Formats: sequence, structure tokens, C-alpha cells
Amino acid sequence: MISVSDIATAVLSTTLALSPFYLFAGMGEIVSEKSGVANMGLEGVMLMSLVTTFLVDYKTGNPWIALFAALGTAGVIGVVFAFFALQVRLDQIALGLAIYLFGLGFSFIVFNTAYPSGLTPNYATLPPIFSGWGTVPVIGTIFLRQNVMAYVSIVLVVLTSIFLSRTSLGLRVLAVGENPKAADNMGVNVNKVRFLAILFGALMFGVAGSYFAGAFVPGFQTNIIAGRGFIVLAMIYFANWKPYRTLFAALSFNLVYALQNEYISIAGSTVASVSTLFNMLPYVFLLALIPVFGRKARAPKFLLKPYRKG
Amino acid sequence: MVVYAGGNIEVALSSLFLGPITLAGGLQQIFVLFVMFYTMALGVGLALKAGLWNIGAQGQFLAGTVMVFFVYLYLAFLPWPVLYVAMILGAALGGLLWIAVPTILRVRFGANEIVVTILLNVVAINFGFYMLSGPIKSPGTALGFPITTVLPAKFQIPNIIGSVPITYAVPATIATGIILYFLVERTPFRVKANTVGESPETARYAGISIPYVMTITMLAAGALAGLAGATYMMGYRYELDIGSFSTNYGLLAIIVALVGRKHMLGIGISAFFFAYIAYGAESMATTVNVPTYVVFAMEGVMMIGILMGNYLTERRNVT
Repeated sequence: MISVSDIATAVLSTTLALSPFYLFAGMGEIVSEKSGVANMGLEGVMLMSLVTTFLVDYKTGNPWIALFAALGTAGVIGVVFAFFALQVRLDQIALGLAIYLFGLGFSFIVFNTAYPSGLTPNYATLPPIFSGWGTVPVIGTIFLRQNVMAYVSIVLVVLTSIFLSRTSLGLRVLAVGENPKAADNMGVNVNKVRFLAILFGALMFGVAGSYFAGAFVPGFQTNIIAGRGFIVLAMIYFANWKPYRTLFAALSFNLVYALQNEYISIAGSTVASVSTLFNMLPYVFLLALIPVFGRKARAPKFLLKPYRKG
Repeated sequence: MVVYAGGNIEVALSSLFLGPITLAGGLQQIFVLFVMFYTMALGVGLALKAGLWNIGAQGQFLAGTVMVFFVYLYLAFLPWPVLYVAMILGAALGGLLWIAVPTILRVRFGANEIVVTILLNVVAINFGFYMLSGPIKSPGTALGFPITTVLPAKFQIPNIIGSVPITYAVPATIATGIILYFLVERTPFRVKANTVGESPETARYAGISIPYVMTITMLAAGALAGLAGATYMMGYRYELDIGSFSTNYGLLAIIVALVGRKHMLGIGISAFFFAYIAYGAESMATTVNVPTYVVFAMEGVMMIGILMGNYLTERRNVT
């Protein structure tokens, strides 16, 4: 018989284990959107970083090198995105979707070239980035066994909040998103600030994708992120572009996910036919909260609007 | 990219540009894609006129495909022609219901439609899986493989001329585009929608009902995407399996609408152009035997190229 505390431990541990993915991506997208640029291609960036992490980790056996490789990949895509969004001033939504499709296809090409059989090689070489902490019961399982990135992601939320409200660069990010003309008149280089914001965003999507490689499903499949990257857009909207509220959104979304996941695994075959309905629950939950919390949400005024000097 | 994926570049290039004409079945594929792109992009373009981004055409399309089989199985007591029409209308209704949620949230609560329609794309895939694994699953498959029954010939959209694989869906789609052209571009509705899209304050001042314009354009967009689902199922695939869930036609339709400058006839030209190159990419993937996911990567790169070309011509027109 499974005890209640076992279930609670499993649920809470899953909830925390999934959060870093949403938090890294969420902070990246918040900073990017606050500067007035929405990167809808985040899932494409994640897929490319994910496959990079996977291959580099497999070849070198060092997850840290893999993480840096993933950051490199994400950075390159970030620069490409920034060029088209800022210099060429393409429509950001269309550009984002193009980046998404590119990442969806190209991550598969890269993987398929490395492993033409299509079989995922043994994933044992991808350990959690920091393991071997959790021997303490309950607390150990829930908190101490978490990947070190789980802690980094919480710190990132705090830092992002401080960055946006207390630092001069952070305030410049807000200024170019709210009123680029005025910011420009005050001597702020609008596109430079936006470029930095986009690059930061892309790097964070890279970390999120890299984390995904170890945290969710072991192995690579095409479209493995399956829309979860897009959910980040909903989370930060729900959170009104505020870092702490995004933490709350991510945790509550994950709690619902963990609960339905645990329920399906306990109930087993009796609910197998409706398990996909349960899979919908976290998304429906988020959707149901939008009219409640999304009412007051106010996007940065110049979101999606390219800036042209003069 | 192709060479990287293990293909022969010369064969690849020739099939990219000539494949649509020379390959057997190429014509059919192009027109299938054309119908899909045009129908969905009309909806996306219509909503865009009112300043609304429908990123969820893919979800509404899936709702449409599911409804085709739902109606086919659960209203099977209806006589043939009635059921046939009911399946098409059911698909439109499915797309309409799927977009009703973001419409209500947008109009009543002011929620951002981009976020909600994206969210519903993910929900649509899960919902589709559920429907496929139970309510609309083919009773014949013993192993629980999620697939529907094949629609019998009398429920398929027939070819116009005998064996030429161009179905009645093609003229029907073009007719829809022309009707929408007269309904939207040639009436005051165009001005109303544009005003709502460009400047809601002006619209309010001019006494234009913003909720009305938004609701009409959004619901029409959903119904059109649902219809695309009906033509895809009844005019091409005839059965629904998870393969249809991983198509990304709904996302491509957004680019089609943008390149067609949101104009109901312009979108038609842009849809044909996209159908041609999208099929070129697909035929290339099959002839040089690179995996189909390569197509997405190529479409992504092409989209950026086309957007750039579009941007450059637009800029030349301005200066």
C-alpha cells in the first residue's frame, strides 16, 4: 500500500523538479518582452539547445561542458533572431514561428545525423548536474535531491526582479519597452538594449532546453518539448510580467501536472483510456485562471513594435 | 542542411523546384496544401484585419478533423447527403467552438488572444489523443492503435474530372475566398475592422461596436480553420491518426496571411505560392530520402527568406 506521505513526497518532488524549465524560460521571456520584443521561437531555441546538450554530454560525459555548448547554440540563434527583429524589423510573431519550425526540424536533423538508427542511446551518461545529496528522507527527496539548477532558477527569479526594478540597465529595458522614443531622446540606445534583452532571453531558453534534457523525458524525440515552451508565454502573461508571480504560476501549474501524473500512475490501467484527458488538466487550469488574473495584465506598451530611429 | 541530413544535393534541388510538377501526385499535393493554406489563412487574415492574432489555427483545424469523425460515427443514422453536409458543418462548428474560448476571454475579459490560442493548440493535441484513443477510434483495431476508420468513398470529396486528383474542395475554397472578398473588402466592414485593429479609440469614437467586430472575425477564423480540417480529412487523408497532429499547417497559415497582406484575394496567391514551395520541400525530402522533419527546418528558413523579400518590396513601395 502506498502511504500518503509517499504520494505527497512524489508530488512535491515532481513539482519542484519541473519548475526550473519554466523559470529559466520565463525570466528570459520576461526580460525580452519587457524590452518590447516577444520571442515566440523560444521552443525552437530550446529544442536546439536540448539536442546540443544531449550530444555534447554523450560525447564528453561532462554535463557542464554540455550546458555551455547549449548556451552557445542558444546565443547564436538569439543573435540571428535579434538581427531579423531589430535590423530588418520583421514581424516578431512570424519570425518567432519561423525560428520554432526551424528548431523543430533542425534539432531532428542533428539528432538523426548522430544516431541514424533513430534509437536513443543509453542516457546514463546524462546525470543530474548535481547529484548525490538526497539521502535524508522526505526533505532529502523533495529538496536536496533536486538538480542544482533548481536552486539556480530560484536565485534567477530574485535576480531578475532586482534587475528590472533596481538597476539602471533594467530600467532602460523597461523604458525601451514602454516608450522607445522617449528613451531614445534621453540617450538610450534602444536597439542595443533590446539586443541585450533578446540575447539574455535566448541564453535562458538555452538553459531551459539543456535542463529539459535531463529533467523531463530521458532521450530525444522529435518535438519532445511538445508545446511546453509556448506555455511559458501564457505563464508570464498570467503573471503580468512579474518574476515572483511567474514563480507562483510555474509552481501551481507544475503542482497540477504532478497531481494528475501521480494519479495516473497510481490508478494505472483503470484510467488508461482517459489519461490524455488528465494530461489536459494543467493547461485547462492555466486557462481557467487567465480571466481571473489576466484581467489586470498589461503588456509593455511597445511589445511587438520595432523601433526606427528618427 | 540536406547534405547534412544525408542527401544528394543535385537531386534535392531539382526536386525542390521541379518536384511539384514532375512527381506523380505532385499536383494533388499542391492543391491539397493550397486548400489548407488558403482556408486557414483567410481566417487568420480576417482576424488580423481587426488586429487579432489567431495563432491557434492549428488547434481549430484539429478540432475540425476530430468533429468530422465524431459526426460521422455519432450521427450515422442520418441519410447520406444530410450526413455528408453535417460532417462539413460539424468540422466548421468544431473550429468555431475551439476559438470561442479565446474569443470570450478576449471580448469579455480582455485576455490576450495570442496567449490563449497558443495554449489551446496544446490542449487540442491532448484532446485529439483522447478522442482517438476512445470515442472516435476505429473499432477494428484490436491493439488499441489510435486511428479512425477510413471514410467510405461516398463520404469523400470527389475529383472534378475523373482521375485528375483535384477535388471540388479547390473551387469551393476559391469561391469562399471570392465571397469573403466581396463581404469584407468591398463593404464598410473593411473600414470597421481596420479601425478596430489600428486604433480602438477611434473605433469607439466612430460608434463601431468593437466586441461585435472582434467576435465576428474570430469566430469566422475558427470556422474556416475547422473547414480546412474537413477538406483535409474528406478530401485527402480519409482517416485521422496522430500523424495529422504533428502537421504545422496552422502556423504556416499565419505567414501565408501576412505575405498575402491580409487581403482576401492576395492570400490566395500567397497560399498557392506557399503550397508550391512547401510541397517542393516535401517532395525533396522524399526523393532524396531525408526525414520529413527536415521539411520543418526548411520551411522555417524559407519563411524568413520570404518575409525578408516581402519586407524589401514593401519598403520599396513606401519610398
